[in-house]
Amino acid sequence: MPLTDDMLLREYKGLSPAEFFYRNKEIAGFSNPTRAVYQTIRELVENALDATELYRILPDIKILVNLRNNNGAEFVEITVEDNGIGIPRHEVPNVFGRVFYGSKYKLRQSRGVFGLGVKMAVLYAQITTGKPIYVRSSTPYSCSIYEYEILIDITANRPIVLNHRIYKKRRRWHGTVVKLTIQGNWSSAKRRVEEYIKRTAMITPYANIYFKAPDLEISFKRVTRKLPSLPIESKPHPHGVDLEMLKAMISPLEENLTLREFLITRFDSIGETTADNFCKWAGFSPSIKVKKLDLKDLTLLMSKMKEYNRWRRPRGRALSPLGTELLKKGIEETLHPEFTTAVTRKPSSYSGNPFIVEVALAWGGKIPTSDKPILYRFANKIPLLYDEGADVSRKIVDSIDWSYYKVKFPAPLAIVIHICSTKLPFKGVGKEAIADVVEIEREIENAIKEAARRLRAHLVRIEKIYELKKKKITFEKYIPEVSRALSEICRVKEEYIREKLLTIMNRILEKRGSKEVMIYAQDPGAKR
Amino acid sequence: MPRIPAPSDKEVISRLERLATKILNMIEKSAPPYLEIPVRSLSNTIWDEEKKILRLGPQRATREFFDLKESKKFMQTLLMLSLIVKARRENDYPTIRDLYYMGKHTIVYKDHLGRRCTEETWYDQRESNSVIQDIEVATGLLREHMGIMHDAKGKIVGNIVVRSKGYLIDCSRMGSGAYAIPPNPDRLEIAKVEADYVLCVEKDAIFERLNEEEFWRRENCILVTGKGQPDRSTRRMIRRLWEEFGLPVYILTDCDSYGFYIYSVYRSGSISLSYESERLATPGAKFIGVTVSDIEEYKIPKNYIIAATDRDLKRAQELLNYPWFKSEKWQRELKLFLRKKQKIEIEALSGHGFKFLSHVYLPEKISKKKWIE
Repeated sequence: MPLTDDMLLREYKGLSPAEFFYRNKEIAGFSNPTRAVYQTIRELVENALDATELYRILPDIKILVNLRNNNGAEFVEITVEDNGIGIPRHEVPNVFGRVFYGSKYKLRQSRGVFGLGVKMAVLYAQITTGKPIYVRSSTPYSCSIYEYEILIDITANRPIVLNHRIYKKRRRWHGTVVKLTIQGNWSSAKRRVEEYIKRTAMITPYANIYFKAPDLEISFKRVTRKLPSLPIESKPHPHGVDLEMLKAMISPLEENLTLREFLITRFDSIGETTADNFCKWAGFSPSIKVKKLDLKDLTLLMSKMKEYNRWRRPRGRALSPLGTELLKKGIEETLHPEFTTAVTRKPSSYSGNPFIVEVALAWGGKIPTSDKPILYRFANKIPLLYDEGADVSRKIVDSIDWSYYKVKFPAPLAIVIHICSTKLPFKGVGKEAIADVVEIEREIENAIKEAARRLRAHLVRIEKIYELKKKKITFEKYIPEVSRALSEICRVKEEYIREKLLTIMNRILEKRGSKEVMIYAQDPGAKR
Repeated sequence: MPRIPAPSDKEVISRLERLATKILNMIEKSAPPYLEIPVRSLSNTIWDEEKKILRLGPQRATREFFDLKESKKFMQTLLMLSLIVKARRENDYPTIRDLYYMGKHTIVYKDHLGRRCTEETWYDQRESNSVIQDIEVATGLLREHMGIMHDAKGKIVGNIVVRSKGYLIDCSRMGSGAYAIPPNPDRLEIAKVEADYVLCVEKDAIFERLNEEEFWRRENCILVTGKGQPDRSTRRMIRRLWEEFGLPVYILTDCDSYGFYIYSVYRSGSISLSYESERLATPGAKFIGVTVSDIEEYKIPKNYIIAATDRDLKRAQELLNYPWFKSEKWQRELKLFLRKKQKIEIEALSGHGFKFLSHVYLPEKISKKKWIE
């Protein structure tokens, strides 16, 4: 069973959340100076993308890395700027300075849920360089721009505002700029960061992404103005509940709300009939007041909700897949393949959590030839770079018999797998690998196979074209020789024989290939 | 057995032209052109029990120009055909090597990526030789008829007089040398033969030795060597002496699988040239030695006996299954060879003195009819 943040927290009830994370920084991905650079950039970029995309704003993201030598230690200053919705002025200190501040139990797909990652980065900066986080932000309707410098009071889990300034907004700007200075190792993190930026561009083709470090500059212009469909906030599915969640859902309720009403109004996919059927099956009175349920009742209710197999399936409305068109665009712009095909599966679910699997196969072109398919993994539009060997996607990709799809390795094949869900089943706490969940495995496999069938059709066509081309070249090579020989023996004009042979050749080749194939074959300069 | 008359030059040219005209007619009718060529392989080689020769079977294959696998061979066949027709029309006599060079040139073309590439019409003389054989079987003409020469390596000496280009050549007056059999022995007129039989030896060194001591004069015979695997002209010469003059023909080879096979080539023809057996094979040829049983019978000293290699044994096993080795005596010899796993060279007979071969072994074998057929 995967370790959740909630469970860990329960173990350490005595600690403040800030203190807890301070003591467990490895969990959040800050295990060493290299990883810390990568993780900080990642957290800030993902917040920036959520702040734009979820509000239908085409993202313009700017990432700057500066290096400062501080008595032999390398200080890495990371600045990320977005054109997003901004943060209301009074919320800024809590958003960056209080762990577990934020909207809980809103179920929709986003990159971060609690904004924990950025607070971890703030803490990390604080303990390695002592520097506060710098934030500048403004919302679209605000007439001012405000700046903050914030530290976290670790034991009290409270923001300490060091500086706070407000300016009048002169031009129409909204968004957030965040600057953090951490101790890190840029030169060894550089390649990962570069890869992260490229992959982020692949999965967000509608974003402008600009990255600049002293020795690296990358720029991705958006290739489409189309944003993926917006996830709709939805209520939890009864299969996905746990005890903490039930308690948290019940505590703000009115005293006399019945179990039946609770089920119908607070959960996804439960109507009146379903609620009644469930209560009958589970042995609960529908009219019992939920506030009256004690811990024992709640535990039973939870397990019965998980066990009941006649709930309607969770809907995929809370999800925001990229869609085949955007997925293909992103891949074409970043990998420059010869052929791309993408599949977005219908929503499915595991333990009450809806998920969608998207797969794209890219072949040839600038994709390097490799002994295995090159895998690009994404979870809720976040690139996963570490722990590929442990990921369910790698397992499925390696289990497929590619020769059936006419792929013979080494081959130039890249596979992009995007899994989106309101709750991703990560393996361990590193959040870099998706666990082996049977339902997800099945969806990945089906998606890959569907895409692979199209790849196969493409390869068969290419093979046919190649075959025809080879034939044409061979025959054309020998026709002059045959014509000359026949003309000498039979004393007939060489030209006449050659023309006749060429006519016969064209007729034969046309019969064997479609017209389109012939056009392809006639132009050897055409893109293969 | 009926004699096969050589076609006239005019007939040769017209048969070669006919092959090309057939192709032209297909092209004019806008049909994909193809050649029809009898198959030259073991599967299409037939053992003619009655005539005791190997013959080409009835299988024919079509060689289509618009077939990726056959296109080049088709081109090569027509290229060669044009070279031969040209030589015939101009009364030239090129060798097979001449034809190889005359036809060899570079084709320049562009590959599927538009890169400039080159290809030779043929890279190896085996390729040009192979299409010559195809033209032979496709037209029913032998390359000797088509005026194609080769490096003839056969030699003849003895009581025989031939006429070549008007000159009379007495093969009993060659001194220490011998008359080189020309590439097309059909152009020789055999003027006089005063011999009792023909002895054909595998090895040139043995031929030289026998010639030096004028074995043929003492024995009143004709001595021939094909220097190992015999070429067509040597075989044709032997065939003519047997066919036209009724001379018995005896073959002397080393005692090993390769020697046995050389004998069978003289007698029945070879697999690769089975279409020529009618003209080249000498079904009456007898194997005089050296046999496996000779090792014991003539008490060959141990130091002359060589252990047979795996290849020797494998080849002997193959011979055992060929229909033209199915005679009782051959089966016994081959089985003995496989059992004893021993081989010897002709030279092993010198273990009993240098004159043993010419004065004892050969006369005794012939007079006592100790041969194998």
